[in-house]
Amino acid sequence: MRTLYVVEQGAVLVVSAEQLHLRRGEQRRCVGQLPLLEAVMLLGMVQMTTQAVRACLRHNIPLAYLSRSGWCYGRTLPVGWGSGVCYVAQRQTALAWQVQMAAVMVRAKIRNSRTVLLRHYRRYGIIGAERVIDSLQWLAERVGRCQTLDQVRGMEGAAAAIYFPALGECLRGEGFVFVGRSRRPPANPVNALLSFGYQVLWNHVLLLVELQGLDPRVGTLHTDHHGHLGLVSDLIEEFRASLVDSLVLSLINTKEVRAERDFEYRNGGCFLNDGGKRIFLQAWIRRMETKAGQGLRWELLVQQVKQYRRAVLDMDYVYTPYQID
Amino acid sequence: MERLIVVSYDIPSNRRRRKVAELLEGYGQRVQYSVFECRLSEGKLAELQKRLQKRIKMAEDSVRFYPIPPYALGQIIIWGGRPLAEPPGSTVA
Repeated sequence: MRTLYVVEQGAVLVVSAEQLHLRRGEQRRCVGQLPLLEAVMLLGMVQMTTQAVRACLRHNIPLAYLSRSGWCYGRTLPVGWGSGVCYVAQRQTALAWQVQMAAVMVRAKIRNSRTVLLRHYRRYGIIGAERVIDSLQWLAERVGRCQTLDQVRGMEGAAAAIYFPALGECLRGEGFVFVGRSRRPPANPVNALLSFGYQVLWNHVLLLVELQGLDPRVGTLHTDHHGHLGLVSDLIEEFRASLVDSLVLSLINTKEVRAERDFEYRNGGCFLNDGGKRIFLQAWIRRMETKAGQGLRWELLVQQVKQYRRAVLDMDYVYTPYQID
Repeated sequence: MERLIVVSYDIPSNRRRRKVAELLEGYGQRVQYSVFECRLSEGKLAELQKRLQKRIKMAEDSVRFYPIPPYALGQIIIWGGRPLAEPPGSTVA
């Protein structure tokens, strides 16, 4: 997904023939080519002229308006974006189908978390962590036997309780301490990085879900609770560890992100500052634009969403989650 | 699959030449005064050609598209000017 992320506060996005330019005072520079762009994400106080909005929509580019920390307020979509063809089928899936789907996704999530840990254990020669690895393995196997959605959610919670402290053991950067997840707001730099990363991933999956004509509100593991887009949260589960957690680890351990430079504290929480966001997004793009299998990593997200669509429309189709080995 | 396409043109009318250059700015990078390097999929190339056709006069203008196969990319020799156009990617601005 060729994306333009605009993080420069106070800048104005304008259109000039076939290009998008970012204007700041008297200066302007080209930041995107309309025929080649696939999404625009505006983070924080970035303005856009109506002409630029219209040009994006005409080129079938959706716009997402995000908070500075990546939370999605809403989107502007081209006419005809997504057709909603799956809405009815999604609401008619049997409970057994839902339990199975949720279990498949959670199992993949736990397995991928385990693999990310294993890789880092080997890299840093951490020993004595067999119990964590074995416990995750055990939970991943048990998920398949769950009978209800709540049981699946219980397994997921249990795995997260083991996984995150173990992830903290793999951190090698100065000033980064992590014992567990804290959200809304994130309490420290590691949580700030994870939260921002999950938001970025979430926003991309949302656009892909709608493009495939799926209703983002109808998930299995996560339900439509106060307008929460459950399906999007479901689909990112398989990708959290391999796309976000391992990126966060590598940014910290290679000292690309620094605790004293790239964060700010406000509203009782810790967030990436503008410089930190740039570093994260550039690393994210590098990762997503590297080859994985047939295409770029982006393609993995598209494939999973398409598979989910197929599984909804064809009850006999077996959804294969994304798994790293 | 995206492929490198070199697009060159010779257009006497200032107005049409400007229009063509503006369009090409959206699909590739200008490497010489009337030469662009574009990295395009089949679909995007077709879209570009369709849109270009509306902006030129076949009787007076000349536009050429040279597809460069992947094996030849390493054999390209560049003297001066900017390096070979990279495939377009995402941007943080």
